Amino acid sequence: MNRNLFLKEMRRNAFSLMIWMIVITLLIVLTMSVYSTFMENQSKVSGMLSLIPKGALQFKGISNFNDLLSVLGFYSVNNIIYMMVLGSIFAIVLSSNILLKEEYDKTGEYLLTRPLTRGEIFMSKLAVISLNVFLLNFVTSLAGFICMELVKKGPFSIRAFLILSMYTFLLNILFGAIGLFISTLIKRAKPITTFSIGLVLIFYFINTVSKITESVSKIGYLSPFRFANVDAINPAYKLDFWHLAYFIGIALLLTGLSCRIYSRKDIYT
Amino acid sequence: MSAPIIDITDLSKFYGKARGIEHINLEIGEGEIFGFIGPNGAGKSTTIRLLMNMIFPTGGSARIMGMDVIRDTKKIKSMVGYIPSDANAYSSMDVHEFLSYCIRFYNVHDGEQRISELSEMFELDLSREIADLSLGNRKKVSIIQSLVHSPRLLILDEPTTGLDPLMQSVFFELLRSENKKGMTIFFSSHILGEVQMLCKRVAIIKGGKIIQLEDIDNLRKKQLKKVRIEFGDRVNNENIGIFGIESIVILSDNIISFMYSGNINELTGFLAGRQINNLMIEEPSLDEIFLHYYKN
Repeated sequence: MNRNLFLKEMRRNAFSLMIWMIVITLLIVLTMSVYSTFMENQSKVSGMLSLIPKGALQFKGISNFNDLLSVLGFYSVNNIIYMMVLGSIFAIVLSSNILLKEEYDKTGEYLLTRPLTRGEIFMSKLAVISLNVFLLNFVTSLAGFICMELVKKGPFSIRAFLILSMYTFLLNILFGAIGLFISTLIKRAKPITTFSIGLVLIFYFINTVSKITESVSKIGYLSPFRFANVDAINPAYKLDFWHLAYFIGIALLLTGLSCRIYSRKDIYT
Repeated sequence: MSAPIIDITDLSKFYGKARGIEHINLEIGEGEIFGFIGPNGAGKSTTIRLLMNMIFPTGGSARIMGMDVIRDTKKIKSMVGYIPSDANAYSSMDVHEFLSYCIRFYNVHDGEQRISELSEMFELDLSREIADLSLGNRKKVSIIQSLVHSPRLLILDEPTTGLDPLMQSVFFELLRSENKKGMTIFFSSHILGEVQMLCKRVAIIKGGKIIQLEDIDNLRKKQLKKVRIEFGDRVNNENIGIFGIESIVILSDNIISFMYSGNINELTGFLAGRQINNLMIEEPSLDEIFLHYYKN
């Protein structure tokens, strides 16, 4: 890894990271601020939710109304959208552009003529992606934790919260690896932001549809969201070894392949 | 010639079925200013990008300072400066920030002083945002970044695009001065005139192949002028009967155009006794030289 390149890339992405942190944190704060009102009016809300088709609720991640009564359940349902989906979009947009940007901005000629190996360039950019995703997760999870502490009506499992946060981080990292991999396959120097965002949403949609519709439940396994367990209020909630192996294994595989492809890639500027 | 600083052996690059360069062989000695000329699309930039390991060869190999351009790319680049044809730097930075960023990749102690000297020489305002710079000023940034670490070899790809004549002159003077200190210069251009001004040897590339490699003095001896004469009367055999005239084209009854490789005084002397309405003598384009010497 090259420190100079790493620091330059961190500065280059700092504003974007800050905006994503603020937006997701605000969404979490806004959502959690509703929790007290929600608890005070739970009978009315329960009545309202009973009118909504079960499928539509599951689409939002609500499988059982009782899930929402605990502060952790309430948080985890909303966490799916704000931290898992938005965090994954952040990760994939960052990673899919971090190498490709040098090509379509035509700055690659400067970068590739510095005394650096392709491996050093790749590792520096990978470190930027990892640190950015970690910082986003750390700040937003911390915001979530503080919010829960402020609005909770009873104790909640910190262990379950940490596991949920770990799943979110792993999912975001996996999408970071997917974005990086796709960008190394692209031969034309063009941004792939729209495609990357679409990919996250499609995977989210596949997972949701597979949960709602019994007949297509198997297709859910195509989506990384399927392996991010958000059932945080389940007493048996744990960091499943196979799910962990799935996230780490696929992320490492894609990153390794990306590094190999990038090391032999013709860079067009 | 001293030990080659650039040694290219049978180097080829194909983009799928499309030709980049084919079986290029070239040796450039330490301390040379070497010209690499050819029309657009001839393979100049492809050759340079292969040397700088931005792209990978389909066949053959290249060595710089005795090291393989792929395997030893990091070590090579620590001793090479490069000016790309497109002067695109990071638009979010200001000039000084960008140049300081460039310096930090090298183990140099006087980098800031070098930036200051070079920016003064090129009258470049270091505080300006790169995004706001004109093409000429971006080119100056590009020149400075290539020299801040005092490289042993400087590779230039169309370096004068966008520079005004005054700055071109400053730039050429700087190149000559750096060359005297020992820097080898590989100068790629499609402008024959600027290559002739600087270089001692030149390779001409066309269609991905090197078609001529010779001393610039020999090329000068062969140098053609493109002449267009509008006579006061009809063109006849006597009008065009002078040694050194080739490739005559009769454009109308009284206008002819031709390539002239003889003594210009003989031509003007010959024309002095004739009725001439208009006379134009100009440098032929590189393509015209290619057509004249190589196609036929």
